[in-house]
Amino acid sequence: MKYFPLILAALRRKPIRTGVTFLSVTAAFTLFGLMIGLNATMDLLEQRAHADRIWTLARFETTGMPVTVARQIAKLPGIKKNSVMTYLQGYVGDPKNRAGVLFFDDQYGNIFPDQVPPQQADLIRHDRTAVVMNRMAADALHKKVGDRFTIISPQTNRADGSKNWPLTIAGIYDDIPQFPGPMISGNYEYFDKSVPLAEQGKINEVDSLAADPAQAPALAERIDKLFANSGTPTRSQTEKQIYSQGFGDLDVEALTRKIALIGLLMLVLLTANVIAQSVRERLAEFATLRTFGFSNAKLVGLVMAEAGFPCLLGAMCGIALAWWLALHLAAVMPPGTGIPAPTMTFAVFLWALACACGLTLASTALPIARLNRLDIAAALSRYA
Amino acid sequence: MNAMRQLGIVSLLNFRNLRRRFWQSLVIVAGMTCVSGVLLSLLSVTEGMQQAYRSTGDPRSVIIVSHGSLREDNSSIPRDQARIIMNAQGIAKALDGSPLADSGFVTGIPVPLKANGATSYARLTTFSKMGVALRPTFHLVAGRMFRPGTHELIVGSLAQSKFKGMGVGDKVTMPNGQWPIVGIFTTGDLLDGVLVGDTETVLPAMRHNSYNTVIVRLASPGAFPAFRTALAENPVLTVDVMRLSDWNTRIGADSAAFFHVLIYGVSIILAIGALFGCFNTMYAAVESRGREIATLRALGYGSFAVALSVILEASALSIAGSLIGALIAWTLYDGVQGGMGWDFFKLTVSPAMIGMAIIWAIAVSILGGLLPSLRAARWTVADALRAR
Repeated sequence: MKYFPLILAALRRKPIRTGVTFLSVTAAFTLFGLMIGLNATMDLLEQRAHADRIWTLARFETTGMPVTVARQIAKLPGIKKNSVMTYLQGYVGDPKNRAGVLFFDDQYGNIFPDQVPPQQADLIRHDRTAVVMNRMAADALHKKVGDRFTIISPQTNRADGSKNWPLTIAGIYDDIPQFPGPMISGNYEYFDKSVPLAEQGKINEVDSLAADPAQAPALAERIDKLFANSGTPTRSQTEKQIYSQGFGDLDVEALTRKIALIGLLMLVLLTANVIAQSVRERLAEFATLRTFGFSNAKLVGLVMAEAGFPCLLGAMCGIALAWWLALHLAAVMPPGTGIPAPTMTFAVFLWALACACGLTLASTALPIARLNRLDIAAALSRYA
Repeated sequence: MNAMRQLGIVSLLNFRNLRRRFWQSLVIVAGMTCVSGVLLSLLSVTEGMQQAYRSTGDPRSVIIVSHGSLREDNSSIPRDQARIIMNAQGIAKALDGSPLADSGFVTGIPVPLKANGATSYARLTTFSKMGVALRPTFHLVAGRMFRPGTHELIVGSLAQSKFKGMGVGDKVTMPNGQWPIVGIFTTGDLLDGVLVGDTETVLPAMRHNSYNTVIVRLASPGAFPAFRTALAENPVLTVDVMRLSDWNTRIGADSAAFFHVLIYGVSIILAIGALFGCFNTMYAAVESRGREIATLRALGYGSFAVALSVILEASALSIAGSLIGALIAWTLYDGVQGGMGWDFFKLTVSPAMIGMAIIWAIAVSILGGLLPSLRAARWTVADALRAR
């Protein structure tokens, strides 16, 4: 601490240079935070996925499944209960304002209390045109509780021949952290009784709860075997399996790591240059300190502190900025893209801290080597 | 001395001195290499995808989808409407006198990936009678065409290389059993990534009863406005009519839009880092050359020439970095087989993209070099000569 004024003096010697170095570190760590934060979100989602929930979808999307599939699945030993769901896709007003509704039955709230709050799920039980939605969906549609709106679905006809689905907002609930997009939930009975007779009794998804999470993967296989030779084969996976497979053949984690790494590499060169310059300009000063009896280790410490200060502070500010940006990312992204916002977990913070320390070491390595070779007499004479 | 000549001489002096400031200058070059490398590598995917969409389909074709559809998947055209559309005025006639119009259906079918055996979804589309006639670039490279009414499929050459079990004679699992692959085709566009079957055979197998699209070729290109008006004014129809090329270009742009937000976001943050690097380097360069600049000024060189020479130096270094980044992106990704969802295409680093990277470099160097150049210009001769 005794040498703090020395470090401060070094930093204040060229305030613009120190400030700009700090800003470039902040920029690079903002990028770092967003990239590694996205990985953290995906890890969180994977951790949070329930091992005992099995999602059964039609193996071929257009076939749908008859609602009896759910009853047969419910009869399998090891299945506690299940819920059926259909999807409605369309738009509100303009085709660019895409919106979708998940219509589910009474059991859904018991199986997915973490996705739709149970009190909210209750709101759609008794009123057939009622829907509840998360804040993201309400903001996207600019709606509040009690508002009515109509979803126009080009590919889903109603029994009366129209494609308009009038809905009433019964509730709006706060967004669940890391949930990737807008979600609107409605009453399955309403959907089912509105479509033409030939389309009734068809569902898109059955969600089942296994009594024993360890048995869930085997149960999923068993479900698919049960319907393999039916006209509507199924594809069942546990929620854990679904969240662990990521985004198809796009390796998001590898990509985000690469980008974060490139940002850091750029920064190493930049900071190293600034420190090297600072040391070069002050060789006489360092030589003076040496003649005063400062050990080599102390000089190394001074240089490291001079580099570490903007690096660590910049890294922390960068992560803070990334955190702020992540909160507002949903507003600038086109809706319905399904990419969750990055999360600044403690691990991300620690990674940033470690990288900032690494950055300090890497950028001071050459200047310190130079300092170790310092010839006091030469340094003093040249700049005297 | 005129200003241009001054600028030339001062800049030449700067560049001759670059070797002495090699490591500092490298910061600008490397910074811009990172920015342009990342920007162009990521954009190569969306550019490749958009190019593939733009070049897909016969430019003479017109597509009809249900009103408000943004993609084929969320369009639905009932059979009775399809019949009315196909008999509308202005559609070209085939040799047998029937209209050059085809109703189609698209869906996804689960198939294993060649790479790791994991189940992925391949796109299955369908042709009716005029499917091939409406796609002039279509030709078989192996096997034969499917026979209408039979459980047979043909597969595009890219889909064949991407998915497992797609050779002639292999079988694909459909809802009602195993359908053999009887041929392999190529069209040179996005259709190469899909499987194709007979519309009226695939629909009942998929338990579906309406088409997604109708594609027609008009008798003359000028017939489009009249054709569109006729369909729009028909009270029985609720459809949108678009030139196939416009439809595909829009889908490509829509799919790319989301990624562009991410790509430009990432690149702009990197560019801000590079900008600060450029600023620091040029500032240091100006400071270290205090005496040199003062001497020049004392000799009668104008402050404008000195200031501009600083920006020119930054620009030259930035552009060099940008070109290195572009070269890396081009070497790594141009022409590489890529994919996004179920679209397969070649990644592209186009000259226009490289041009954009150069513009970014110039912008970064001007923003980063501006303050240092003003500093150089503002220095009074006496102060600068006294510097260190």
